[in-house]
Amino acid sequence: MTKSTIIKYVKAPLLKKETRSNLEEKVRQQTDELKVRSGQLRQGADREKLAEEQIHIRTKAMEAALDGIFIIEAVNQRFPIIYANPAFQKLTGFAKNEVIGQDYFLLYGADADLRVVDEIKHTIDQGQSFHGEMLNFKKNGKKFWSSLRITPIRDTKGSVTHYVGIQTDISLMKQRDLEIEEQREELLHVTRVGKLAEFVSSLAHEISQPLTAILAYTQAAQRLLKDKEPQLQEILQYIINDDLRAAEVIKRLRVLLKKTKPVFESIDTNALINETVTLIMPHINARNKIIKFELDSKIPLIEGDRIQLQQVLLNLISNSLEAMESSPESRELLIRTSLKNTNTIRVEVKDSGCGIPEENMKKLFSHFFTSKPDGLGMGLSISRSIVEAHGGRLEAENNPDRGATLYFTLPVARKENW
Amino acid sequence: MHNQFNLVHLSLHCRGRKNNEMSDGRMKIFVVDDDESVCRALKTLLMTFDFEVITYNSAISFFEAVPNDEPGCLVLDIHMPELDGWAAQKKIFESGSKRPVIFISAEKQETVGDRALKVGAVGFLQKPVNGQTLVDLIHLAAQTTHTNKMIQG
Repeated sequence: MTKSTIIKYVKAPLLKKETRSNLEEKVRQQTDELKVRSGQLRQGADREKLAEEQIHIRTKAMEAALDGIFIIEAVNQRFPIIYANPAFQKLTGFAKNEVIGQDYFLLYGADADLRVVDEIKHTIDQGQSFHGEMLNFKKNGKKFWSSLRITPIRDTKGSVTHYVGIQTDISLMKQRDLEIEEQREELLHVTRVGKLAEFVSSLAHEISQPLTAILAYTQAAQRLLKDKEPQLQEILQYIINDDLRAAEVIKRLRVLLKKTKPVFESIDTNALINETVTLIMPHINARNKIIKFELDSKIPLIEGDRIQLQQVLLNLISNSLEAMESSPESRELLIRTSLKNTNTIRVEVKDSGCGIPEENMKKLFSHFFTSKPDGLGMGLSISRSIVEAHGGRLEAENNPDRGATLYFTLPVARKENW
Repeated sequence: MHNQFNLVHLSLHCRGRKNNEMSDGRMKIFVVDDDESVCRALKTLLMTFDFEVITYNSAISFFEAVPNDEPGCLVLDIHMPELDGWAAQKKIFESGSKRPVIFISAEKQETVGDRALKVGAVGFLQKPVNGQTLVDLIHLAAQTTHTNKMIQG
């Protein structure tokens, strides 16, 4: 049996040679198929994994981007945000839950320019991309310049379903541009003022010569007439008056454009304030404003140039008056003196006007900076350099309630202590 | 009074008669200003106060024409080409002349008046100059010259 079995065994392949090769072929094919299939399966899984990874990376990238990225729904005319990356949240100051579902355009801030908003809506409504810059406001009201790019996202049929936007804070860039622009303007202004000073100086000289002659001739004529011709005498007097008036204008122009060397003397600041206010009182009355004083009578004398310090006071007072110009209900101007410490006195000019916008604070004392259309932008910068030449400081701050206070310090006269 | 507009001729003419004029008892005034109209007008005015007035359009022509020891008050403009008022005053002072000088200038700076006194002038007046003020200063100058007390520094 065993033998036959062996034979059988031996024989069998011989007998079914064809069958066997067919089988082998099938197995091989199946194996190959399996291999392909499992390969395909592996590939599919890999691909899925890859796709997942890519989505993950893309999401991560959007989350990590330093520019604000957001997606808004296009069909809903409220333009709700369905995605906003952390940079967008940081940019606008709104938390994620305040952003998602919110009308995108409301996040520009209440003070945003509605004309720009309309322009953006109009552009993207037509399926076009918007690219522009605008002033936005953070949640806390702080404003910033925003560079905006909003692009429609379309479905397979080509209709717009969403918008994707990139928003970047370009305040720094804008600031630099502005500074460059300002410097350019300042330079122009310097040239203009320099030319003006030169011009005024030569003009003043040229005009005061004939004014001198006219005055001398007229006075000579008056003397020659003596008591005769009263009508002519009167006319001559008018000529003299007008001559002196013209001379006064020239003098003032010179003072305005000429630097004089300071003459230092002991000064009672309170007295100086009173003198100065007397000079400007007609202006204060004409504008229907009230001036109040809180002068500390115990402040010591200071050492300084009377004219220059008067110029500073006049400047601060007239600035305050101008700040209160537009609002009739802000009427009160307060001048206060106090002893800051044993060596320093402090003079404040406080108004109840419109205050100083934050962005103007830094530039307030720079040459040729002015918020007034007809201002020369010299007043505060000259005032500061005068105060600094006296060893003091001139500063500005907004009042907690309304208006602004400009104040300067001056060192107490040393002789006072001797 | 008709000749007041011919001052240039007059001044040339006057130079040769200085002794006579001194005997007239009229005080002599030299006006030096580069502006001819100012010279002429000041001369006209000062003549109504009965001064003898001679004008020059530059400090150089004044020095050429008038010896340092010739008596007379100088009304001197500060801003002039070539030799300006300060330089002219320095020249007078250094020569030892006692000539009283009154500065006039269109420019007014606190320091100009001080400087004028420091360099030995009788005073400083800003243009346009009031006639009476100038005359008062001239009279003061006459006294100052007598006592020879000038303010210096």
